[in-house]
Amino acid sequence: MAFVTIEGLTKSFGDNEILKGIDLEVERGDVVSIIGPSGSGKTTILRSLNVLERADGGHIEVDGRVICSDRGKAKIQFASKKELRSIREGLGMVFQRFNLFPHMTALENIVEAPMAVKGVSRTVAEKTARELLESVGLSHRADHYPAQMSGGQQQRVAIARALAMEPSIMLFDEVTSAVDPELAGEILLVMKRLAEQGMTMLVVTHEMGFAADISDRVLFIDHGKVVEQGSAAQVLSNPQHERTKAFLHAVLERAPMDAPADADDTHWPANDDAAHIAAAAHHSDEAKLEALQTEVARLRAELDATRQQSDSAQESGV
Amino acid sequence: MDVQFFLDVFPEILEGLQMTLSLFLWTMLFSTLLGLVLALMRLSPITPLRWFSAVYGWLLRGIPLLLLLFYVFFALPEFGDFFTFSPFRSAVVGLTLWTASYQSEAIRSGIISVDKGQSEASDALAMTKSHQMRKIILPQSVRIIAPPFTGNAINALKQTSLATVITVSEMTGITRGIIAGSFQTVEPLLALALIYLALTTVLVFAQSGLERVFRLKT
Repeated sequence: MAFVTIEGLTKSFGDNEILKGIDLEVERGDVVSIIGPSGSGKTTILRSLNVLERADGGHIEVDGRVICSDRGKAKIQFASKKELRSIREGLGMVFQRFNLFPHMTALENIVEAPMAVKGVSRTVAEKTARELLESVGLSHRADHYPAQMSGGQQQRVAIARALAMEPSIMLFDEVTSAVDPELAGEILLVMKRLAEQGMTMLVVTHEMGFAADISDRVLFIDHGKVVEQGSAAQVLSNPQHERTKAFLHAVLERAPMDAPADADDTHWPANDDAAHIAAAAHHSDEAKLEALQTEVARLRAELDATRQQSDSAQESGV
Repeated sequence: MDVQFFLDVFPEILEGLQMTLSLFLWTMLFSTLLGLVLALMRLSPITPLRWFSAVYGWLLRGIPLLLLLFYVFFALPEFGDFFTFSPFRSAVVGLTLWTASYQSEAIRSGIISVDKGQSEASDALAMTKSHQMRKIILPQSVRIIAPPFTGNAINALKQTSLATVITVSEMTGITRGIIAGSFQTVEPLLALALIYLALTTVLVFAQSGLERVFRLKT
């Protein structure tokens, strides 16, 4: 039995059928990226998993615990509120718009849920929170309010906040889309290191180069269905389906031909006291990524250029 | 205008200040609590609670406070001893029921002004709904609630003057007594007006102070 099992997931908003029967399995330690055009239902899959959206039909199970199911029933049934809260403790979610608590400092944001939900003492919670802040390179921002931080910093705090609950899987919902392109790298670096530490991750993203880097598997979703899935190399450089080809082609076509910087040039802002962590992360990357890098090198250069452009296009509301 | 008479009646009227303030403070305490309950009912997923709150607001905001005070003081005792209150308590009950309908609107609009992402993030972190409300939603809505809240407070303060009609001896009642005994109106009414103005001015300053505090923090 897979760690995460999603079967026949359906969801409509009014007459708009967003998900038309999604099947997805994620093994423990897997990093699975979900790509696809806007409105294809990528985000809804993540939100259905922790019941921020209530699915219309299908079966979702995480670590053997049923979140919702319509197996052998006329109508889908959800776990009780209490069971659901207990399951959610194990599901870390990071949002496109950070959703940090604006009236709390970075540290308070991180300790709130462990103390309230898991009954962790303040001393222990703060110790963990400071370690987490250090691991995302933000020790010096512990007492800052969200409004005093850049988007990239806020998102890293949001990741630390989710990690403080010690989740067994992390859900990333377009976490770089609301961030200035030059700040996306610092978020992606944190995620890459998490993936390397063996965190199970489900990543909805527009960052094709990044998806190619970290994913064990890539799913291409269109019109509420999984069109194609496989290794990053298979899906991104050798797509089999017309719609995948068309999507990737469209993404590539908008890219300028003189490709700019490589995505690996991610670095902390100069004032960050954890620059050494970044350097260390770079180092351990090399061996692991080498094989994949040669495989998708040519495509990556083009995709990275695309990323920057699609980010800025997205920012202007396209 | 008789300045000496004005100076004489001023402290006399001030003797009612304590009663006015205690009407006001009890009313604010109870009406804020009741208003919070009504606001939460209004936002509840449970339909009968939503209806109750909506009907309450429609009813209490649709009748004059004077009528409500008469009702609590004169009509309610007909339903038994349990509903028979002293003049002071009748006034607090009437003022509370009436002010709560406005407080509930103020609090409700504050709660719904908080971004939906805040409750989603709290849900995702497995917080209970009541914890979310106390620690995440309400603290953020205070900034939105403060201006209409102060408006309601100012209204409640001024409306305590109506308690005089059910024989509560607060500032307005004392003033009426002075007028009846002296047949002079200009001085006592001026004194009364100045005291109310001073009190409402304090509330206005309290509001802007409060707003500055919350602006600094977020």
